[in-house]
Amino acid sequence: MNNSILKKKVPLGILIAVLLIAVPFLIQLVFGTEYGVMIACIILIYTIAVSGLDLLFGYSGQISMGHAAFFVIGAYTSGLLNNYFNIPLWLTIPAGALLSCGLGALLAWPASKLKFHFLSLATIAFGEIVYYFLYVSPGGFTGDYLGISVVTIPFLGGSYTRWYFFLLFFTVIALVLKHFLVHSRTGRAFQAIRENTHAANGMGVNVRKNKIIAFAVSAFYTGFAGAVYVHLLRYIAPSTGQQKQSVLFLTMLLFGGTASMVGPIIGVVIIEILLELIRPLQEYQMLLYGILLLIVIVALPGGIYGGIKDLIVSIKRKKAAKQLTKK
Amino acid sequence: MLETKNVTIKFGGLTAVNNVTMQVRPGKITALIGPNGAGKTTLFNCISGVYTPNSGEVILDGQHLEGKMGYKINAAGIARTYQVINLFWNMTVLENVLVGMHSRLKANFWDSLFNTKKKRQEEKAIVEKAHEWLKFVGLDEYANDRAGSLSYGKQRLLEIVRGLASEPKVILLDEPAAGMNTTEKAELDSLLQQILSMGYTILVVEHDMKLIMNISDYIYVLCQGSLLAEGTPEEIQNNPEVIAAYLGGDE
Repeated sequence: MNNSILKKKVPLGILIAVLLIAVPFLIQLVFGTEYGVMIACIILIYTIAVSGLDLLFGYSGQISMGHAAFFVIGAYTSGLLNNYFNIPLWLTIPAGALLSCGLGALLAWPASKLKFHFLSLATIAFGEIVYYFLYVSPGGFTGDYLGISVVTIPFLGGSYTRWYFFLLFFTVIALVLKHFLVHSRTGRAFQAIRENTHAANGMGVNVRKNKIIAFAVSAFYTGFAGAVYVHLLRYIAPSTGQQKQSVLFLTMLLFGGTASMVGPIIGVVIIEILLELIRPLQEYQMLLYGILLLIVIVALPGGIYGGIKDLIVSIKRKKAAKQLTKK
Repeated sequence: MLETKNVTIKFGGLTAVNNVTMQVRPGKITALIGPNGAGKTTLFNCISGVYTPNSGEVILDGQHLEGKMGYKINAAGIARTYQVINLFWNMTVLENVLVGMHSRLKANFWDSLFNTKKKRQEEKAIVEKAHEWLKFVGLDEYANDRAGSLSYGKQRLLEIVRGLASEPKVILLDEPAAGMNTTEKAELDSLLQQILSMGYTILVVEHDMKLIMNISDYIYVLCQGSLLAEGTPEEIQNNPEVIAAYLGGDE
């Protein structure tokens, strides 16, 4: 039986790998420009960010309405450290992720005591504080509303195709680590907390500690995504840390499907491409998020991925029922 | 073993549990009975760390437990089930048992994240162990189903086995027979005997007198927060005060 699973899974894995490697070349073949490859790069970055949010919201059941704050903390930390002190990027990018992680833990320390609505208010407040701090910073060291220009990663140069492979590498690592974490003692503790905090505590789960861990890991993911994002675009402004961006992350997660490996990927790919298609109508972005969230709430509570899973289950059931009637 | 000494819990002006002293006998089933609102579950919650007693002590093998957090009490060796079933509904039956083992596992966060050899070996061992536990209560065929999809009686069994998975010194069962039919109650009876024969100690709150008189070795009767009587099932059955409390008055 194990062998048949292997036979099925290995070719599928190879197929996916080949497709992922072919993406930048296919895009250039079809559209003739590298612009589409940049969109693919942003999709990879958002996949890391939203997967981080999934660990927090999807798995441990704690909402964050201010996750864009961690994204810009990562971005500004890496950009500013390099701009002011000339520290090489291979140090500043992890530094951005780590600062974001630390601030996430610090926020979670008091916030881990808050229940759903109050946690969402606290995280909105955190997002706003970070946004305004960047918007009017002491001495203007963040470039205030103008934002900052930063350098790209030298060995990637201006080639989005190289960037794509660089980001693909880290996205795969992020997803693999997420997989390990979810299927472990810690991951089960996260889910137990989401399902029933009271019983989790009774079963020996240190609820507060695990909530803080979830926040810290989530902030690390999103902070890392921000830290590479800034060098891809070579520019960042406080507006990326606005509430709108946090809602974007949440919409991607909810639309794709929470608490899964592929849900965030589906959500990011579909919404990012939709956003590109309606780029001329940028003022209507929030309207789009609203509509998508409405679809999720009314028709697809498990997001696209949850919907697909339900569909497969019902097809299997129908098949089984048919076989029964035949007999 | 587990004992409470002069435990008192007050909610505002109401004394829910008043000066209760009791001992759980190792390797036996100790029962806590009493009319509705007698304070049985409150006392349970106090032992398992949901409430902190206003005064008095909860001691397990010489270790003070009063006022400790629930997860620490679990690690110290007390597992419990709940009056209203508190499973992790959207996790699988197997995962529920694995969470039950949480405080006995050695893999820390970094082992989890980087899938170290230590974690992989431990995971393999505990998944096997969890399947054994599920076989023990006849739930192994549902191992990969959502816990929420089980029938009511099976959910009760899963809760018991989730508690046992932490290999506790004492397991507290809060009304394990609630909502069960006669057949299921008979099965529960023999299950509890099996658990005893594995060397575990049980403290049980139950309303079903027939079941209690059958299974318990020693009984404490709570009435309006205070200890009314204690003794073997025979003694309790013949105690006039207990009869009065249950049947109301002795005019």
